[in-house]
Amino acid sequence: MYGWIWRRLPGNAWAKAAISLVLVLAVVFILFQWVFPWAEPLLPFNDVTVNGGGSAG
Amino acid sequence: MVRLAVRTLSELCVTVGSLIVLLVVYLLFWTGVRADNTMSDEVAKLQNQWARTPLTATAPATPAPQTQQSTPSPSATPTPPVYRDGQPFAIMYIPRFGADWHKPVIEGTSTSDLQRGVAHYTGTARLGAVGNFAVAGHRRTYGNPFEAFAELRPGDKVVLTDGVTWYTYVIDDQPYLTLPNDIGVINPIPAPLDTSATPYTSPGRYLTLTTCDPPWGHSHRLIAWGHLESTQPVEQGMPRALLS
Repeated sequence: MYGWIWRRLPGNAWAKAAISLVLVLAVVFILFQWVFPWAEPLLPFNDVTVNGGGSAG
Repeated sequence: MVRLAVRTLSELCVTVGSLIVLLVVYLLFWTGVRADNTMSDEVAKLQNQWARTPLTATAPATPAPQTQQSTPSPSATPTPPVYRDGQPFAIMYIPRFGADWHKPVIEGTSTSDLQRGVAHYTGTARLGAVGNFAVAGHRRTYGNPFEAFAELRPGDKVVLTDGVTWYTYVIDDQPYLTLPNDIGVINPIPAPLDTSATPYTSPGRYLTLTTCDPPWGHSHRLIAWGHLESTQPVEQGMPRALLS
């Protein structure tokens, strides 16, 4: 997978490295901004109330 | 073929591993950074709001003693402000959690409320009122507001202000461990499943704090109860519990 991406990137090795870095940062940004905030309430340590069910349960 | 399979598998492992590391960084570090920012914003918002509101209408005519034991009478406001869902309405101080520990109290216990402060259960008593002022908070993540919850001891002060009055509650028991469905703990007179843990027998002005237990789990809840010890108008300065 990573090899395939690497071969598809244009330019010499330096350009490829730079683009890869940007891609990695973009992925991390997407994860922190949207994916993790969505996934986090599904994890157990959000449950601090005594309401029973629900995301805040 | 074998080479391809091994390579794909190892790349998959590296990817999953990186994701897990990133998630841990997010939970341990980033939620804290974000929550600290949001909570300071909420506190600033409250303080600005209070600074704009004149206090004169609610000040008692006679200078009250430093602490009004046994008959706490919250300033008789003609029209007490409504607690609007999702909005901060008070600031909580718990010296046991650190001298500068203070968090905004948000009305409502939805996921987003809990990410911006400690959360007041809708429908439970108002600050200082007869009944049970019940508040939930994260033990871990989002700034770990109730991280040291298990260290609460009888006699610990929980001080709150709504911009008009300081309310000093005192914790009465060691934290009580219970199950998530034990909703009686936030009743006006707390009624836990384990009746031997019942803290009070008659109506009063109570406080309930809830959080999760174990710190990273959700199998149990940790509960602390307190009662209102004293109130004083904000013009008299901070209550003694915060000055020592």
